[in-house]
Amino acid sequence: MERIGVVMPGTARTREHSVIRNAGKRDPAGLDLYEGLMQWPLWTMLGWSDIRQRYRRSTLGPFWLTLSTGIFIAVLGVIYGRLLKMEISTFLPFFAVGYIIWSFMSSATIDCCSAFLESERIIKQIRRPFSVYILRVVWRNFAIFLHTAVVFVPVLLIFHVDTGFATLLAIPGFALVLINQIWIGLVLAMLNSRFRDVLQIITTLMQILFFATPIMYPAEALGDAAILAHINPVFHFIEIVRAPLLGKLPMAESWLVALVTIGLGFAAALLLFQRVSRRIVYWL
Amino acid sequence: MAKISLNNVSVEIPVFDVSATSLRKLLLGSIGGQFNRTGGHVLVSALKDLSFEANDGDRIGLIGRNGSGKTTLLRVLSDVYPPTRGSVEISGRISPMFEATLGMSADATGMENIRICGMLWGLTNEQISQGLEDVVAFTELGEYLNVPVRTYSMGMFMRLAFAIATLREPEILLLDEVIGVGDAAFFEKAYTRLKSMARQSRILVIASHGERIIRDLCNKVLWLHNGALVEFGDVDRVFAAYKKEVAKSVAA
Repeated sequence: MERIGVVMPGTARTREHSVIRNAGKRDPAGLDLYEGLMQWPLWTMLGWSDIRQRYRRSTLGPFWLTLSTGIFIAVLGVIYGRLLKMEISTFLPFFAVGYIIWSFMSSATIDCCSAFLESERIIKQIRRPFSVYILRVVWRNFAIFLHTAVVFVPVLLIFHVDTGFATLLAIPGFALVLINQIWIGLVLAMLNSRFRDVLQIITTLMQILFFATPIMYPAEALGDAAILAHINPVFHFIEIVRAPLLGKLPMAESWLVALVTIGLGFAAALLLFQRVSRRIVYWL
Repeated sequence: MAKISLNNVSVEIPVFDVSATSLRKLLLGSIGGQFNRTGGHVLVSALKDLSFEANDGDRIGLIGRNGSGKTTLLRVLSDVYPPTRGSVEISGRISPMFEATLGMSADATGMENIRICGMLWGLTNEQISQGLEDVVAFTELGEYLNVPVRTYSMGMFMRLAFAIATLREPEILLLDEVIGVGDAAFFEKAYTRLKSMARQSRILVIASHGERIIRDLCNKVLWLHNGALVEFGDVDRVFAAYKKEVAKSVAA
């Protein structure tokens, strides 16, 4: 046989090379997500080529982000440290970590709104799991995050942040942040395909959340209103990465909130996907 | 064995961005499809109650006026449009080729584009490497394959796109018009390649306005009008009926 299985491993079609579509039936959302994950060579490649495209012929390329993030953190770190009457050696590392994680969460969230729209040409020609386009965007933002995360290294060294074994907990912490972005991305991409105002709403919401979440100030600074931080899942997601990087153990509460958010989030995202996946292509 | 089977397939596409009335005024009567209003948006029936079957060896030419549903049908066959009514059953590896330039990135080099597109089409790295030599030879682009595609002329760009698109070995090949590729000499070469690709596939469905292309490649014709099937069968018979109808509408 000269013909060999050609489509990516993991798609239902390759296994049996057959498709049955009945109007009214729903596609299992978990399968879409699973198949999407299995096609990682595709979405990592698409994500990289997006980044290359964006920074084409720029000398520093994505390291412009490293530079701008570094300057932003240095300037605001000094000013806000003063305003909050905190030691710069405590405040600046705190602000740096929080801001870098927040930037990833915020840009991935906003970027995912257009995930299906930007891939419209592909979606209307080849059948691929929808989650591929979400993973492409999350991956792209993760790659950008790695560039900005470089800033944290000099901050750690200059201010002699007391890192230890606990610091390693930042890795599973960030993994949860990443996983969380997948369901958020899936929901927002679906909603924004149908209702194009979603992107505007989310952009505004992100600006508000930046100030409403303890990023530029510690949660304790809220005093009696500290509850505002604790009911905010964004705070907990930041905390599970920030606390270990600053040499502290994150609160058990933060881990719990993060896990519950991810559980509920995925349940909601998959339910919604199951309902609308057949219509997404018609919305583009 | 490859097989396509459509049972009473309808596709209704919602249109959100135009108010129902103005859209109706603008389009009704001029282009096919029919407009129904439901809720806040307009529904265009792009395909209506379509049933047909295709088996190994069937080479089907889709004909019909602009907006008759040819592209919609191809999208249903490529499993991109789920039917809004009815059912679709397809066995065989589907290879849609609607836009040859899909996935091509202007900033990547020719070589990189071969990899990017190959992967998008679902080829594995080994398969791309296997076909690479053939693609390189076919494009006749030589050293140009190592510079970004944005420096290419349109003709060179299309050569590359076409070569990449034919890297696949489809069981079910779906084509939307035949893409104009470069100069006359290259067009002949491309057309020859397309024909051999079509012959190798088990089922071919091609939408085209060109009678020569359809007569060259197909052994059956499916005629669509306003999203509904008018006739399906022998090339000569359907073309004769179609031409009669076209002549009538031109005279009117």
